[in-house]
Formats: sequence, structure tokens, C-alpha cells
Amino acid sequence: MLTYEPDATLAHRLDPRSKLLAQLGFAVAVFARGSALALGALTGLALVVLAAARLSPVRVLRAYWFVVVLLAVTPLFAAVRFGPPWLAPLAAVDSVVAGYRIVLVLFVSGAYVRTTPVRATRAAIQRHLPGRPGQLLGVGVGLVFRFFPLVLADLRSSQAAIAARAGDRRSALDRTRRLALVGLMRALDRADRLALALRARCFAYNPTLPPLAFSRLDYPVLVVGVALAVSPLL
Amino acid sequence: MAEQHESVELVGDRTVQYFAVAVLVAALTAAFAQVTVPYPFSPAPFTLQTAGVYLAGLLLGPVWGAVALVLYLLVGVAGAPVFAGGSAGFGVLVGPTGGYLVSFPLAAALIGAVVHRQVDPRRPDEVSVPLQALSLAAGLAVVYLVGSVWLSVQLDLPLANALVQGGVVFVPGDAAKAVAVMVLVTGGYLAHGRGVVG
Repeated sequence: MLTYEPDATLAHRLDPRSKLLAQLGFAVAVFARGSALALGALTGLALVVLAAARLSPVRVLRAYWFVVVLLAVTPLFAAVRFGPPWLAPLAAVDSVVAGYRIVLVLFVSGAYVRTTPVRATRAAIQRHLPGRPGQLLGVGVGLVFRFFPLVLADLRSSQAAIAARAGDRRSALDRTRRLALVGLMRALDRADRLALALRARCFAYNPTLPPLAFSRLDYPVLVVGVALAVSPLL
Repeated sequence: MAEQHESVELVGDRTVQYFAVAVLVAALTAAFAQVTVPYPFSPAPFTLQTAGVYLAGLLLGPVWGAVALVLYLLVGVAGAPVFAGGSAGFGVLVGPTGGYLVSFPLAAALIGAVVHRQVDPRRPDEVSVPLQALSLAAGLAVVYLVGSVWLSVQLDLPLANALVQGGVVFVPGDAAKAVAVMVLVTGGYLAHGRGVVG
């Protein structure tokens, strides 16, 4: 599993905003520039990014195994036609190239995930999305991140309880319903307590935010991100 | 350091309540995506992820339901392991299955709009079962439409192939999930037809 890991790499020291922008620019460039030369250059860039985040490409592929499996079976599907001539082997090549682009984007976003704590992304959202929606989404990201492990533990414990009571002899439909019901009831109870706690702490639209600051390192990253994003227009 | 004199702009009580439920529905969707239920007819792992979409629309209405799913996507992009298989990051959204994820807020908004026909959700025990079934079918259609078109564009596949590869395998499982979840909200399973406000 790939999540944030504290470290002191070059990528860790960058501001989340410049990394987000560079990530977006990279995705735009990968999908808009189709030539072999461009893909080769972007592959080089993706490897530089991985090195800057001290992350091995194999680890990224293992973390996104289900996407990789999907990409691996796609050429088989792509070559089939529902009508004469039934088979189109060249289409398989196209879908291999398309899948390779996605792998490049996964490399870059894997580097972001390893080097950026969720609270930094949350601060970027809250600072730059305008007005009240930005405030609510920023606080919401922080809260969902905190509640996710609790709700998951709720579900796992009720799954264990269902299994302990010979629930595996019940139908899939019945088990699903029981699991969803327990999960939902506990989540709604937590929501009531959360709402009470937020009101008790004067939940406001204008709280004090954690500081974010560009360092000298960030400016080249920003320039590269913008350049990649506008590269299809050149 | 200069002192700041700014008045505190409190969030209204109803908004706080909807917001808290939206946060927990987002966390529940994230947890549902990690829990698999063995399912006899499909080789694909069967998670309850889309149940989170149904519940968001049914409980929270079109606006807050969509907010809940947008929160889910943002947390995933920010790096929390909330997408299927404990994965995270912008790459999952851009990837071949990203269309299904991106369609979740749209589907929740549609479900909420069909069920409640207003911004504030009605009490869930006022919603008839046929209306729920209709809204869930519409939501599911949005998920598969957006998801399959996205898959076909991202992988350079003809649309028919993308529908078969990405959609048809999961349709029986998703229909079963919809049936399992549907009556939870209206069928008296939740205490006293419990709504999210009041």
C-alpha cells in the first residue's frame, strides 16, 4: 500500500501546490502529446520524479495492481470486434500504448502520494478554493481522513461478528444488508456526535489555517508544471 | 506580530448537521470500498462501494449527497488509501476506472434529485419503494455510462468492448447491492425512520 511516508527527499520539501500543478500538467501532456519522442521524454521525466521521491517503480505498480491487471487484459478485449472481421490485432497495439500512458501518470501520482501528507493537500484546498465551499471541503477532507479508519474498523468488527454467528451460511444479499445496516447506523451515530462537537467548538467559516510557503525549490517545479500543461497548445 | 480583529462567522446548525453526515457517508463509502463480500456468480471482488453512492443520495439529497462523494474523491486524491484495494492518488482518477469514481457525485446528485425533488432531503420514511428503485436504477445507469465511456477513451477501446469489459461483469453484483440497500432507509430498519436532521 502506498501512503504518505515521512522522509527528507527533494519531493518531500516541495510545497503541495506546486506538486499538484506539476501532476496535473504531466497528465495533460501525457494524454495530449502522442508521439513516441514525447512519450520517451515523459518516461524520463517520470523516472526523475520517482527518483526525487525515492520511490521504486515496481512498488508503484504493486500498489496499483488492480489497474495494472486491467491494463494487462485490455489488449485481449481491444482486439475483439462484435461483427466482421471479428479480430483487429492492430487495435491491441493502440490500447497497449494507451495503457502505458496511464502507467506514467500512476508513477507521478504515486510520488505525490508518498511525499505529501493529507493535511498539506487539505490546507491547499482550503486556502485556494474560494468562499464557503472551499472552507467546508477543506475541513471535510481533514475529517474524512480521521474518520475513515474508525468506520472501517466498525465494518470489520461487524463482519467478524456476522461470521462468528454462522453468517456465512446466509445468502450474499442478507450478509450485505446486515453489513450495510450496521455500518450505516454506526456512521450516523458518529455523525451526530461530530455535529455536536463541531457546534460546541464554534465551527466557523474563517478558522486559522496551517502555514504554506513556497521555497526556492518550488519555482522550477511550477514552471515545469505550467509548461507541460500548455505543451499541447505549442 | 499584529493582532487580527476579525469577527467569527459561525456555520449554521442545519449546515453543520448535513456536513457531519456528509463526512461520515464519505468515510463509509471509503470503508465500503475496502470490504469484500464473497459473491457466487462473479470472479470480480464484490465491494459495497456503490452502496455509499445510493445512501448519499437517499439520505442527504442532491446537493449534500454530491458533496459527500466529492469529499470522498478529494481525500483519495490527497493520498488516503480510500479507493478500491487501498489505492490512492490522482492517477487512479485519471486511470481506466476513474470514470466510475468521477461519476459517483453525479449519480448521488441524480438519486437525490429523483427521490427528494428539492435541496433539503425529505424524511426517508416518506419515500416510496418504487421511487427508490427508479432512482437507484438511474444512478447505476449514470455510473456505467460515464465509467464505460471513460474506459473506452482512456484505453483506446471501441465503446462496445469497454461496456463488456467494464460494465457487464459488475451489473449483477451492483443490482444485488441496490436491492440489499434499498429498503434499509425506508423499511423501518433504521430506528423510527430516522432522517439526518431532527
